[in-house]
Amino acid sequence: MFSETVDAAHNDLYVGLAATLITTLIGVAVGALAGYFKGVVSDVLLGLIQMFFVIPVLLLILLFARVFSVLVFHGLGLTLIVLILAFFGWSGIAFIVRGETFRLKEMEFVQAARSLGAGSYRLLFRHIVPNILSPVIVVATLNIAGFILTEVVVSFLGFGDPNTSTWGLLLNEGFPYVRTSWWVSLFPGLAVVFCVLGFNLMGDGLSDALNPRLRE
Amino acid sequence: MTDYLTPSTRDSVNEWDHRLSEKLLEISNLRTYFFTEAGVVKALDGMSLEVNRGQAVGLVGESGSGKSVTAQSVLRIVPRPGRIVAGSVKFEGEDLLSKSDDDMRKLRGPKMAIVFQDPTTSLNPVFTVERQLTDILMLHRDLTKEAASKRALSLLERVGIQEPEKRLKAYPHELSGGMKQRIAIARALSCEPMLLFADEPTTNLDVTIQAQVLELLKQLQRELNMTMVMITHDMGIIADMTERVTVLYAGKVMEVADTPTLFHSPKHPYTEALLKAVPSVKQTRALEVIPGNIPNLIEPPSGCVFNPRCKYAKDVCMKQEPLLEKVEEGHYVACHFWRELKLEGRAG
Repeated sequence: MFSETVDAAHNDLYVGLAATLITTLIGVAVGALAGYFKGVVSDVLLGLIQMFFVIPVLLLILLFARVFSVLVFHGLGLTLIVLILAFFGWSGIAFIVRGETFRLKEMEFVQAARSLGAGSYRLLFRHIVPNILSPVIVVATLNIAGFILTEVVVSFLGFGDPNTSTWGLLLNEGFPYVRTSWWVSLFPGLAVVFCVLGFNLMGDGLSDALNPRLRE
Repeated sequence: MTDYLTPSTRDSVNEWDHRLSEKLLEISNLRTYFFTEAGVVKALDGMSLEVNRGQAVGLVGESGSGKSVTAQSVLRIVPRPGRIVAGSVKFEGEDLLSKSDDDMRKLRGPKMAIVFQDPTTSLNPVFTVERQLTDILMLHRDLTKEAASKRALSLLERVGIQEPEKRLKAYPHELSGGMKQRIAIARALSCEPMLLFADEPTTNLDVTIQAQVLELLKQLQRELNMTMVMITHDMGIIADMTERVTVLYAGKVMEVADTPTLFHSPKHPYTEALLKAVPSVKQTRALEVIPGNIPNLIEPPSGCVFNPRCKYAKDVCMKQEPLLEKVEEGHYVACHFWRELKLEGRAG
């Protein structure tokens, strides 16, 4: 049992980290463009962010997982879950980045860089975005935990990849025997709890460490 | 042997002299409006300014008179919802307002630059001093990272920063205000601009540091033979730093003159009021304040914009806007009564 739980760990971490990496990249790019530009570009991107923010993500993830489940048999199971999570999960970061970009673009140091010949994209990605990285890193860390949890839910409900061992799948398999063999469910469950707790604490710690006001 | 003093050579020397004294910047009848929800704010309403090569000119006026907007308009970095709606800006004889955004971008830095008021907000908080300087050098000069760093180091020495190697690695929040402003100056000068706007560069500094920074600007301007437009509300700085002055009020030019002339024989009541609001060590009189505030720029007063605050105002001032009239060569004033009024200047 222990070895199965440990074996599942790398799959779960892969899902969490890969999905976070992709969502952070998408979120920063979309958010920065939406916050910096005005007019149609910004309106369309903001609409997109809001759309992905309000839709019931879990239901759509389950739907997509089922629709594309044919790919699972080509060995793409876990990657499929990552892509689906990433596709639906970038709007939180995009919202933060958009708001910060909106605030920072009026700051004098941006005006100063423009007064020395920096163009729009240079201003945006070299001068503004580095100023937003600390909140983004914090949220991304919390997202890792969130994605792992979502993957657990998806697999537990039986929509995951049945050939790859994950904590969700272990929980799913152990569920019918909870009364007789409780340990089959307990240990993967504990693994999820500690993993999510760990990433949340890490997020809190980073948020303190990156906050210049708390620095000496 | 070549005779260096043939007439033709002398002619070309004269021509060179002429080119040196020719106008670097010519702003005429510039109108920059801000289209806010409350209405159209006429930040600049028919502003004109001429700056000769190598000259240090002052732009003086209260807050909201349009000093900073003038610099922003020339660099074409007026923030939204502001827009240049009319007028012309000529730099080296070329019209800046008809240039493409990209051409304009290439002029900023190598041809003209600006030093802002508050170095705490004008430096990027997450960049080291080195990156503040190299970013701009690598953009315009096509330098490698090493070459740009070397140049950054010499720039720091140039602006009088102690222990420059150590400071290169520092972040802005680790430096004092005076040091930050020196770095902002180094950054503005990194590509050797011909024209430098100094937008109240010492307003946020301690008095002793102010004097040092002004001295530095003066020295750099002389050494680099740079043209400088000093934007300030401080007549003391004007007297110290500039050769010519333009007095702005509510986006319009009130008076233009050589600095000594303006101080000795001001022709506009607003100039007189500004001079009287400056403290002096010699005089023991109370400081005079200018009553009232700068007018609402959405609906400026009719006639002369200064009439609500002018102690000499008569009926005609409320009805008719005075034009800029010539007092003598190089001295212009926009007041109906400049001939009649006996205004007090300041000696020394």
